[in-house]
Parts: sequence; C-alpha cells; structure tokens
Amino acid sequence: MLDNIIDFASYWWFRYLMVTELYMVEKWERVTIHVIFLTLFCIFWYFNYSVLLSFTGNLFGFVPDVLPGVKQGQGIKVT
Amino acid sequence: MGNLETDAAAPFEQSYATTNGNGKPANPAMEEEEDHETLMQRKFSAPAYTEIKTRKNAAKVSSAHRLKNIANGGYHPAKQLHLNGHAKTAVSDREFKSSQADGVLSPEQEHYQKSSFEEVPLHTACLTYLGFYLLMILGYINQLLFVPKVAKEKGRDGYVALYDAFESFYSRYVYRRIRDCWNRPICSVPGDELTLKDRVTNDYGWSFKFTGTQTRCLNLGSYNYLGFASSTGTCADNSEATARQLGLAYCSSRSELGETQLLADLERQTARYFGVEDAIVFGMGFATNALNLPSLLSPGCLVVSDEKNHASIILGLRLSGATIKVFKHNNMRDLDRVLRQAVVYGNPKAGGKPWKKIMIIVEGVFSMEGSIVRLPEVIALKKKYKAYLYLDEAHSVGAMGPNGGGVTDYFRADAKDVDILMGTFTKSFGSAGGYIAGSKKLIDFLRANSHAHCYASSISPPIAQQIYTSMRIIMGEDGTDIGRQKINQLARNARYFRKRLAQIGVITYGHEDSPVVPMLVYLFSKIGAVVRTLTTRHIAVVGAGFPATPIMEGRIRFCLSAAHTKEQLDYALDVIDEISDDFGLKYSRKPKDLNPIEY
Repeated sequence: MLDNIIDFASYWWFRYLMVTELYMVEKWERVTIHVIFLTLFCIFWYFNYSVLLSFTGNLFGFVPDVLPGVKQGQGIKVT
Repeated sequence: MGNLETDAAAPFEQSYATTNGNGKPANPAMEEEEDHETLMQRKFSAPAYTEIKTRKNAAKVSSAHRLKNIANGGYHPAKQLHLNGHAKTAVSDREFKSSQADGVLSPEQEHYQKSSFEEVPLHTACLTYLGFYLLMILGYINQLLFVPKVAKEKGRDGYVALYDAFESFYSRYVYRRIRDCWNRPICSVPGDELTLKDRVTNDYGWSFKFTGTQTRCLNLGSYNYLGFASSTGTCADNSEATARQLGLAYCSSRSELGETQLLADLERQTARYFGVEDAIVFGMGFATNALNLPSLLSPGCLVVSDEKNHASIILGLRLSGATIKVFKHNNMRDLDRVLRQAVVYGNPKAGGKPWKKIMIIVEGVFSMEGSIVRLPEVIALKKKYKAYLYLDEAHSVGAMGPNGGGVTDYFRADAKDVDILMGTFTKSFGSAGGYIAGSKKLIDFLRANSHAHCYASSISPPIAQQIYTSMRIIMGEDGTDIGRQKINQLARNARYFRKRLAQIGVITYGHEDSPVVPMLVYLFSKIGAVVRTLTTRHIAVVGAGFPATPIMEGRIRFCLSAAHTKEQLDYALDVIDEISDDFGLKYSRKPKDLNPIEY
C-alpha cells in the first residue's frame, strides 16, 4: 500500500519535473526555482487574503464569518 | 532522474558482459550462454545511464513481456545475431507497391491525405514556453553566480566579444544540460546497428569521460536509407580495390590534376541515373549548395525559397547576394502569391523593372519535417510564371520512387522539367559528396564557373567508387535485383513504422512515404529523457530541439533504412509504445486505427 503510494507520487513528481524542464537542471537550481514558486504563491496568497477578499467583500457588502480578523470596512475602500 | 551524476561507477562491470561489443573473453560459446542468461535475469542497462524509474508495475509487466519475446527468439540488439552493416532484405511473396504517388486524386488532395500533421495542444505549448523561460532564468542565475568552465581569452581588454553572446549562453546553459544526447561517438559502421562508445559526465555536461565500455544499439539515427553503409559486401570490396589501385586522394582540384576516368564515369552514370543530359560531382554535399548557388545567382535575381530549406541553401543564397523571399513550408498558395507579386511588381530596387531571373528552391524530402515537396504543383507554378526550379534531393535520392530516382521518380515527373537537380551522395549511397544534374549547357557553365569545381579538391577515389558501385546496384546494372529489393524494403519500413506510431498515439509530421519520421515530444527534458531511455534499451536515436526547430517543436527524428528488418522495427516500436506511456508522449487526439498493421 505504502509502496504503491510512493511509486505513484514519485512517478508524478518525475512527470512534473519533466513538463517544467526541471528534470534537466542541477539540484540547487531545482530548489531555487521551487523557492521562487513558493514565494510567489505566498505573496499571491497574502494579497488575496488581505486585499482582494476585503475588496470583493466591500463590493458585495458582506464579510464571511470564517475570517474573524477582517471586519466590514477594512482594507481598500471603494468610493 | 539525475541520470548523469549518480551512476558513473556501479553498473559498469555488470553491464559490460551484456553490452560490450568487443573485448570478449576467450571462450565465446560460454560467454554467449552466460550472455543470454544475464539478459533473461537482469534489466538491460547501458553503462552510461540507468533506467529512469517510472511506473514500477508497468515496467515490470513490459520488461517481463520483452524478456519473453527475447526468449522466444525475438530481436534484441545486445544479442548480436548478425554482423553489423549487412543489409538484410525482406523475403516476401506478397506484392508490394513501392513508394510512388497514386495519381488517383488531385496532387493537392493526395498530399493532404498522405501527410500527417497536428497542431500542438494548447497546454503543451504554454508549458513549453514556461519551461524555456525557466531554463533561461536559471541560466542567467547560474552565469551570475559561477564562472563557466570554458577557456577564456586573456589580455583582450577593450576588444568586443568575438563570439555571439546569446549563442554561447544558449549552448552553455540550455544545450549543455542534455549535451550527452548529441554528438555521441560511435565505434562501428553505422549500419542497421551501431556500437556507441559510452561516456559519462560528472559535472552536468561540461566535460565527458570515456568509461571504456561500449553499447550495441539499434540504429535509428543515420541517413543510411538504402543500407549501403557497410564494411562488407560488393561496395566495400570495390572501394578497397580502387584505394589500392588509385590511392586515397589526388590532392588537387578537378581543373588541375584531380581529374580521372573514374570521376568522368561517375558523372555519366549520374546523368543516366536521372535521365538528364549531364551531371557534375563534388566532394562535399554542403558545399554543392553553398558554392554553386552563388555562381547561378547574382544581385538583381529573386529566389523564392521554402521556409524549411537547409542551412547550406540559405548560406548559398546569402553568398549570392540575390533577393530572397520565403514562402510557407510546402504551401502552394503562398508560393503562388509570392511569385505573382514578384512578377507583377518587379524589382523595387531597380524601380519596378523585372527581376533578372526568378528561381524557386525546394527540397525533395525535408529532413526535419519528414515532408515531401509537392512537386507536380511546383512544376505547374514554375511553368506558369516562367521561373527556374532548383530541387535539392539530398534526402530523397535513392530513398524515394520505385526506381530510387528521388521525388521526380516518385511523382513520375519528367526530370527535364526541373532545371537544376541537386543532391548528395552522403545519404542513400553511403558515401560522401554531392552532384548537380541537368542540361549540358548548365553543367558546362558550372564546370567553368563553380567555385566548388575550380578550387575544391576532387573526390577521393574509394569514395567515388562507393558511389559508382552503389548506383549501379540501385539501377540493377550489376545483374541482381538487390537494389530493387532495398528500395521496396525501405518503402515498406517507412509506411509500417509511421502507421504503427500513429496507432501508438504519438504525433508525427510528414508524408507517409518519407523515410524520415519526426516524433514530436515538444520539451527539452523529454528529448533528453527519451534519448537516454532509448539508449538504455539499446536503441540509438537523434533528438532535435531549438535552434534546429522552432522552440515549441522539439522532436525525436527516426531515420529508417532498408537495412532494418521488421523484427528490429517491432522491437523499437514496442519500446517507444512503453516509454511514450511513461513520459506522456501520446499527444495525438486523432482517432486511432486499432486494426493490426500489415507489414
């Protein structure tokens, strides 16, 4: 069972490396690109969480309850 | 995954027994038995690479299947059932129509019916560009942080760079990473099989070390279309005799001391082969284009050139100083448009006066695309606009047509309709050099004006003899039908291979009768992975990527030969089927024909 999962994961990891051309680069380069990918992802995530969510909340006039940190009217105001 | 860095030491000794072509122990019978046994037990692995571990179960099933096949007497290159270089001809009673146009449909319809082409899937195109940009970014980071391991000019302060910066950047940081897949040294005749000299790299392609071992591979990468590249047989014997009689080189040009009866005979034979008045031969195929075009064209002439034409043609055209207009690959409407505009508007640099002459330049078989020129339509356009036609038959001569006469033979066109027939002896004839055939007037003009004739050294006698003998065999003048059999075998191989690839579900380009079969894999990594994996399975192929192809169209190019047997092709196709599943190469969305393909 575990073997199967590892096989499956390693196979698709290999396919992922292949389509992003990371298969043919050195290990440190692979790590660098993944760090860049992760950083970009985090920046986007933070932007979406802090700016985009309250922006759309303001547009439609509601704030979801799942985000206790964000109150109505916070973030960018649309006038 | 990291093929290169980790497996330098461990598998060498193990695989030596299974893969080494030479260096056998004293008792060959025992060795053979042991060989067989190890083959049964162990995964095949070429010394320089380990097999990429992908789907374990699939690999198990397929390798078990393969081993069973081999046990039943199936083909495997490592078994070395026969000596290299012998052309094996198929023995079949069934009537087979060799490659030629059917002539039932109109030329245009027939072209579209027989050509395979598919647009690249959108997500693959996006990924290819993304990957290319990633490689570029990593290259720049790499260049910024480390000093490249290349020789540097010193004491050159103030000079501009002598070598093009992007080109060297590209070859250092993109091409270098999979450099082990190109320029691989071989140590045998490139016949139906060849022996690769194994090498490893411990620094990601900056440098290579020879391991001292060799790998016997099925050869799907040489332009040995008719299987004349052989170290034994009539051709080799005659060449050897000629070398003993006439020596190896004349060390002089044809205009001076390099002229012999052999070359005069060869030229007459070439003219007869194409059914034209006269022919002239040169010692180098590339130079035949690059140095003869400037003597035929001058500034004020217009050349209408196919966009996929070979570098030698492009170089020749640039040297000539003629105006070049490019038309879309094999697109007759575009050719018609370009010609019409040229005739109507004339030469803008000369105030709209007519061009001195207009010449259409096309190739018979395009080596990267695997496509065949639409000759009947080109000839019709040429006659309509009174332009000249220059046909480069480098890949088609010998390989196309029921008599091996190239695309003119294939389309049953009159060779005299083509003003200049050019081709090389490097491919089908298993030799070297090039020719130009046409009217007596043309050839006499070239004898007087061609740089390749006046200044280049004449063809070496054994090389000329190889061409002469193989040409006689193709024409059937040696009294056998070996030539005919080879032509039929090649046509049969080409169709079978293409149909099976289509059935597998990979995208191929080109015409169904063309012996060059490009299989699209799009990404650099996939080129590298496919070439490396096929080497572990004892199949040698050639990959082609940017800049030889557009960025988006990386491909593996299979070159078929009359020397290949059905068993060899079946072995290769089974392996390709398996790895295209593993690597995701089955891009084709066309409906598949699931019926068994008849050979």
